[in-house]
Amino acid sequence: MPRLVEIRRSVMEADEEIAHRLREMLDRRGVLMLNLIGSPGSGKTTLLERSLIDPPFRSAVIEGDVETTRDLDRIKAIGVPVVQINTHGGCHLEANLVEKALERLPEDVDVIFIENVGNLVCPAEFYLGEDHKVAICSVAEGGDKPLKYPSLFHQASAVVLTKVDLKPYVPFDEATFWDDVDKLNPKAARLEVSAIKGEGISRWIDLVEGWLCAKRERGS
Amino acid sequence: MHEMSLVEALMDTLLEMQRRQGWSRVSRVTLKVGKLRQVVPEAMVFCFEVASKGTPVEGASLEIEEAPLVSRCTRCGREWSDSESLGLCPFCGYADVDVVQGMELLLESVEVELDSAEIGRN
Repeated sequence: MPRLVEIRRSVMEADEEIAHRLREMLDRRGVLMLNLIGSPGSGKTTLLERSLIDPPFRSAVIEGDVETTRDLDRIKAIGVPVVQINTHGGCHLEANLVEKALERLPEDVDVIFIENVGNLVCPAEFYLGEDHKVAICSVAEGGDKPLKYPSLFHQASAVVLTKVDLKPYVPFDEATFWDDVDKLNPKAARLEVSAIKGEGISRWIDLVEGWLCAKRERGS
Repeated sequence: MHEMSLVEALMDTLLEMQRRQGWSRVSRVTLKVGKLRQVVPEAMVFCFEVASKGTPVEGASLEIEEAPLVSRCTRCGREWSDSESLGLCPFCGYADVDVVQGMELLLESVEVELDSAEIGRN
């Protein structure tokens, strides 16, 4: 005779507990953690590479990729502490992987940047313990992406439009892009950058620094 | 496609509960998945069939109930279900909006069979 058992627990409860634990630890230390999510080739690594050369805070990076240490090598070359996670097929990072990576980073850090696996869908589903998600989308991807991938753009604290130096060369419906961000998330900070030309980078750093100061002022 | 990660986590919970509670078999698993979650039901079912093979959960049906999206404006209090207006109240235009329902990913319930010794005691 079958019996019905009510459970009502989160499917990802175990990983979420790790994420909450990481967040509590980082809060105690006053460390800001950001989760950068965007398509492959959207410019996540280049944004970090160009902006973390001499920021007004101590930074560290956790790189997430299916394979290779190519991104780790690029961040290492600018002298920033970095750990590479290879998922060997996984399309997103999870808190249990971030926990192991954090153990290999120095403790005296102000901001940890997680560069998630290139993907606009799955990474938005998994909380890593971050303070903020940042949606990274390039001009070359087209202006229709926010409504096509609403979960990420809705959850992000900031939307960074990258490769703006390409605007004269690729069709990009700027009005639709920002209108759609408005519908999904009018409170999100909005930035336009060209990492390779250096445009908008100081605003990006100011945003991160602002988040860090706000976190420390709040005392968590 | 991250459904396999979700199913692996689900299986860990189910098998741990099965061991602790002494269920002989699990015949049905019901999930509640919010509309905003990017989960493909067919992919979940497929991954579940693969992952449950050779375990006491093998053969269980996986039912997925979708929880509709409900957003609520923190100013006027009205609610709506349109996923295109996630951040802006379509009634008063206020930009502080809560997602009240739609982000859940819950193991709601299971239907189980107890082992024969327990049946005998009952």
